Amino acid sequence: MNDEVLIVEDLEKIYSGGVHAVRGVSFKVKKGESVAIIGSSGSGKSTVLRCINRLIEPTNGIIKLNGEIINNPLADVNDIRSKIGMVFQSFELFSHLKVLENITLGLKHVRGMNKEDAEKIALEVLARVDMLDRIEAYPGNLSGGQKQRVAIARSLAMHPEVILFDEPTSALDPELIGSVLQTIRGLADEGMTMVIVTHEINFAKDVADRIIYMDKGIIAEEGPSEIIEKPKTDRLKEFLSAMDEE
Amino acid sequence: MFPKEKRISAWKKIPESSRILIIASIIVIIFLTPNLAEGYESTWNEININSNNDYNAAIIDSNGNAWVFGDDGIIIQGEKLANWSIVDSPTIKDILTADSNENLIVAAGSDGVVIYKEILSNEWINIDIDNQTRINSVSINNFDEIVIVTDLGGIKIFKNNEWLEINSLTSENLLDITFENGRGLISGSSGLILGSEDNGLTWEIRETPEIIATSEIISIDYYKTNRAYAITSDGTILKSTQESLTTTVGYSWAVKEIESENYSTSINVNLTSLDVLSTTKILLTGQDGFVALSKDGGNIVTPQLLPEGSKNQTINDIAMETAFRGIIVGDDGKIFYTENGGEDEPVGFEIIDLSDFNEFVDFTKDNLWEGLKSTVKIVIFGILLGFFLGIILAMCKTAPTTLKQMIESDLEKTLTLFWLVIPISIFSIKQSGIGLGIFTFLSIIFISILVNHYINKNKTETEGFLGVVIPEHHRNKIIKILGLSLLIGIPISGELKVNGGAELIYSALVDFHDFKLGSNTPKLSSQLGYIFAPIGNPSAFFGLIIGIALTYLGVLFVSTDGSFSKKKIYAGKLILLISIWTIILTELFVGFELNKFDLNINNLMKFSLFLGLGFFLTRRITPELFRKKAKLNDFNISIEPWSLRPLNSMATLYTDFFRNTPLLVQFMFIHFGIQLGKHIQNIGVDFTSDLAIISSYLGPLDSLFSPMIDYINESLFGPGKRSYLSAIFALGLNSAAYQCETIRGAIAAIPSGQMEAGRSIGLTYMGTMRLIILPQAIRICIPPLGNEMVNLVLNSSLASVIAYTELTRQGKLVVAITFQIFWTWGMVMIAYFVVTWTLAILLRRLEEKTRIPGLGISGGS
Repeated sequence: MNDEVLIVEDLEKIYSGGVHAVRGVSFKVKKGESVAIIGSSGSGKSTVLRCINRLIEPTNGIIKLNGEIINNPLADVNDIRSKIGMVFQSFELFSHLKVLENITLGLKHVRGMNKEDAEKIALEVLARVDMLDRIEAYPGNLSGGQKQRVAIARSLAMHPEVILFDEPTSALDPELIGSVLQTIRGLADEGMTMVIVTHEINFAKDVADRIIYMDKGIIAEEGPSEIIEKPKTDRLKEFLSAMDEE
Repeated sequence: MFPKEKRISAWKKIPESSRILIIASIIVIIFLTPNLAEGYESTWNEININSNNDYNAAIIDSNGNAWVFGDDGIIIQGEKLANWSIVDSPTIKDILTADSNENLIVAAGSDGVVIYKEILSNEWINIDIDNQTRINSVSINNFDEIVIVTDLGGIKIFKNNEWLEINSLTSENLLDITFENGRGLISGSSGLILGSEDNGLTWEIRETPEIIATSEIISIDYYKTNRAYAITSDGTILKSTQESLTTTVGYSWAVKEIESENYSTSINVNLTSLDVLSTTKILLTGQDGFVALSKDGGNIVTPQLLPEGSKNQTINDIAMETAFRGIIVGDDGKIFYTENGGEDEPVGFEIIDLSDFNEFVDFTKDNLWEGLKSTVKIVIFGILLGFFLGIILAMCKTAPTTLKQMIESDLEKTLTLFWLVIPISIFSIKQSGIGLGIFTFLSIIFISILVNHYINKNKTETEGFLGVVIPEHHRNKIIKILGLSLLIGIPISGELKVNGGAELIYSALVDFHDFKLGSNTPKLSSQLGYIFAPIGNPSAFFGLIIGIALTYLGVLFVSTDGSFSKKKIYAGKLILLISIWTIILTELFVGFELNKFDLNINNLMKFSLFLGLGFFLTRRITPELFRKKAKLNDFNISIEPWSLRPLNSMATLYTDFFRNTPLLVQFMFIHFGIQLGKHIQNIGVDFTSDLAIISSYLGPLDSLFSPMIDYINESLFGPGKRSYLSAIFALGLNSAAYQCETIRGAIAAIPSGQMEAGRSIGLTYMGTMRLIILPQAIRICIPPLGNEMVNLVLNSSLASVIAYTELTRQGKLVVAITFQIFWTWGMVMIAYFVVTWTLAILLRRLEEKTRIPGLGISGGS
C-alpha cells in the first residue's frame, strides 16, 4: 500500500451561480505530511478544502482517501467525514454544550461509544491541547484561542486520517494566535496528516512540509516550504510582497 | 469569569411557612365550597292496583280516562287518571295492543282476540278473528274501522261487521300500525315500513335506510301529519319529515345519529314503545326500566329515573294525554303516572338572589370553573399538537432534500416510497378507511427504516435501501420507468389501482368542467367562479394538485439523461409575455364594441390600469426588448427542475393556507364542514377497541391496561367529545403554521457553520439537526413561541362558536341565566388572565433555566 493518504485529481467546482471557483486542482498528501495552501481571497483554497470532505459537492474530479474514491454519490458521506477532521475559521463549537460534551458528542453518536469511554478519550485530547482546566465551561465563556484549541481537540478525538484546517487563526486576536499555532505545530511534530489553509505565511513556512500556492482557481506554484523564500513565479512574488506590506 | 449571582424571584422571598399558607388557602377557597343541586328525583308516581298481571297496552280516551290492558284479558280503568279499578273483561286471552279515537276504544291480542267498546257505552263487544292468530297491533282509521296487523304480512280490516283480508305485498312480520287523518303507517321486521293514503285499504312499501335492514321496527307513531318517528327493537330511532309543504310525511326515513348515548345510531337498549309528544319531543320506553326523553327529535336522548324499587322494571307501553300528563305500563302490574312529561326534577335548589355578588359567585363559579378546565384542556393539547407539527413543518421547510438528491443518491428509498409504501397505503385506505391507511403508511416507513438499519448495521458503506442496490448502469433506466409509472399509474389488484398524474389531471378537469362555473366569454374576470371549484369537489381538487405534481415528476424522470442539470426553455420569456398580453387583451377587448364605447372615467381607468400593468410586467420580465441588440437566446429561461424541494413545497402550501384564512372560519369549516371531530372520534373508537382486543390476549396484564384504554376512550373519544376534538385540531393545526415560521426563523438564525461542524464530525443531517441545531434554535425561539402560546389561549375562546363549552361559552350561558353581565365577563377575563399569566411565568422560568452562559444578550447573569 502506498503512503499517500489523500489524492485530489483534476478537482473542479462551478457554483450554481456560475462562479468557476476551482479549475482543475491536483495534489497528493502523504501520511504524516502537512500541506499548507496559501493564496489571496477568492483563489478557491477554502472551496478545495470543503470539497475534500464533501461539505461542497465537487463538479468534476476525483478525491481518494486511502485509495478509496469518496466523491461518488453512493459512498457513505457520514462515514467519510468522520475520518476527516475539520477545523473552522470561526471555531463552530456547539454553544449549548460544555467543552467536554462538545468533544464526546461525536464519539457517542458517530462512534457509538458509551459515556465513560468517550470521556476518557475527550480528556486525553483536551490534555493534548492544554484545555483540561476548562472542561466544564460553555464555549461562550472561552477566549478565541481556547475555543479554537477545543475545536482542534474535537476533530482529534475522532482519530481522523487527516485534519483540514480552514484558516484556523484568522478570526483570532494577534496575541491569541500563538497558543493555537503552538498546538498545530505540536500535532505536526507528532506526525498528524494535515491540510492547512492559512494566511499566516510564516506559520505555513514553519509547520508545512509542502506549500501549495493557489491563484484564480488553479495551483500556481507548489513545492517545499523554501518556495516562500525563493518564489519562482511572479504571481507568488506579488502575493508575498503584498502580505509583507500588511 | 464573574461570580455567578443568583436571581431571586419575588415568590422565593416570601418565607416558606407563608408560602404554604397561601397555597393552602387557595386550595380551600377552590375546593371547600358546597355544591348547588343535591340530585334529581323521578316524577313518575306508581299507581297501586291489586294485580300482578303483565300490562301490555295503555290508552287514554277522548274523555281523559285511561285504559290499561294486560295478560289474561285484564282491563283496568283509570277515571280521569285518578280513580283506578279493575273492570269486567269479555275475554281471558292476553291483550297485547290497544287504540282509541273520539268514538271507539279497541284492544287486541293473542289467539285472535279483538274487543271494542264505544266511548259512551259500558259494554265491551267481542269480535275475535279466530282462535290462534297473534295480533301484533291494532288501530282505528278515519271511518272508525278497526285494522289489525299480524305476523307474516297479515293485515285485516273490520268492514261492515266482517274481517276483510288486505294485501300487504310482503311476508315480513308486521309489528305496529298507526293512523293519522286517513293516512296509515305499518312497521315490521327487516326494516320494513308500509304506508297507506286511503285509510288502510291499499298499502305500499316505503324506503328505509340500509343500516336498519335487519332490524325489527317495533313501534311507529305520527305527530299530527307533519312528523313521524319509529324505533327498532335494538335501539335505533328513525325520523320522517315532510319533504315539502305539499307532500305528506312518512315517505322518506332517516336514522337519527344519537349524540349523548354512545356516539352511534343506536342507544343500545331493547326498546319497546314510542310516543311522539310534539314535532321534536319524543318519549321512549324499553326493557330494564328504560324511560327516556328526547327534546330535539332524537339527537340527545336522556334517560329518566323511575321511582326507587322499580328501577329495572320492563315498560311495555306509553299513553300520554298531553305532552306532560300521561302513564306508562309494564310487567308485574306496574303503572306509573306523571304530570311532568316524565322529566326528572332537580331537588335541593334554593332561590338565590343573584344580585348579591357573594351568592352570584357561589352560583356561577362551578360553571366558570368547568369552562376554565375545558379551556385548559384544549389549550394543552392544542399547544402540544401545534408544537410537534410546527417542528416537523419547520424541518420540512429547511430540509435540503432536493429531487436531485432523492433520485441520485437515494434512488432506492424513493422507489420504496413510490412503488411500495404509497400503493399499500392507498390499498388499505380504500379497504378500511383513512385511519388505518395513515397507520399503515407510518408503520411501513417505520418498519422499513428499522429493517434497513439492521441490515446496514455492520457495514461502513451504505448499501442502498433494505439491502437492494441498483447498479450504476441500470439507474437511468429505472428512473425512466419510475417516471412512466408516475404518469400512467400502478395497478394494485383487479379494479384497484394507483392513479397516474395524467389521469388525475384529466378527471379533475372533467369534474370542474361539469360545474359550468364560468361564463362563456374567455375573460379572466368572468371565469373567477372557478376559484371556488375546490369546495365543489374537494377530492378532484386534491387530485388535480397531486396530478400536477406527479406529472411534473413523471415528465422530469422520463426525460432524465443522468446529469440532473439545469434546463433551458427556449424563448421562455417571450412565451410568458405573450400569455400575459393575451389575458390583458381578452379582458379589455373581447365583447368590445367601438360604437357603443363610452369614454367615461371608469373605462379610462380600466384601460390605463390594465395597459399600465402590461407594460410594467413587460419591462420587468424582458428588459432585453428595450435594448438595441437583442438576440433570441436572450429570451431563454433557465430553470433548475431538479433543485425542487418537495418537503419544502408541501410545508409551504400548508402554512400559507392556515396563515391566510381567519381562525374563526377555520373553526367552523373544520367542525361543521369537514366534521374532523366526528371522523377522529370514529378513528379513535376503532383504534381503542382494537387495543382492547389486543389487551384481552395479555392475560393478567389486561386488568392493568383495560382501565387505561377505557379511560382514553371515554375522555378523548367518548360521547359529546366531537367539538372537543375539533377544537383541539383547529387550534393545533392553526398554531402549527405560526409556530413553524417561528421555529424556522430560529433555525435560520443558527450560523450555517454549526451544520457544517456537525456534518464534518460525521453526524447525519437529522442527527445534526436533533443534537446541535434544534437545541440551540428552540432556546432562541422560546420567547416568540411563548407569545404564540398566549395567543393560542386567547384564540381558544373562538371554540365557543362550535358549541364547545369552554370559558367564553360558559360565560355566555351564565349571563343568560343570571343577567349579571359585568360580573360574569369580569370573572371570565380574570380567569383568562390567570391562565395566560401562569403560562407566561412558566415560559420565563423555562427561558431562564435553559439559558446558556455567554450566549446572547440576556440582561441577567
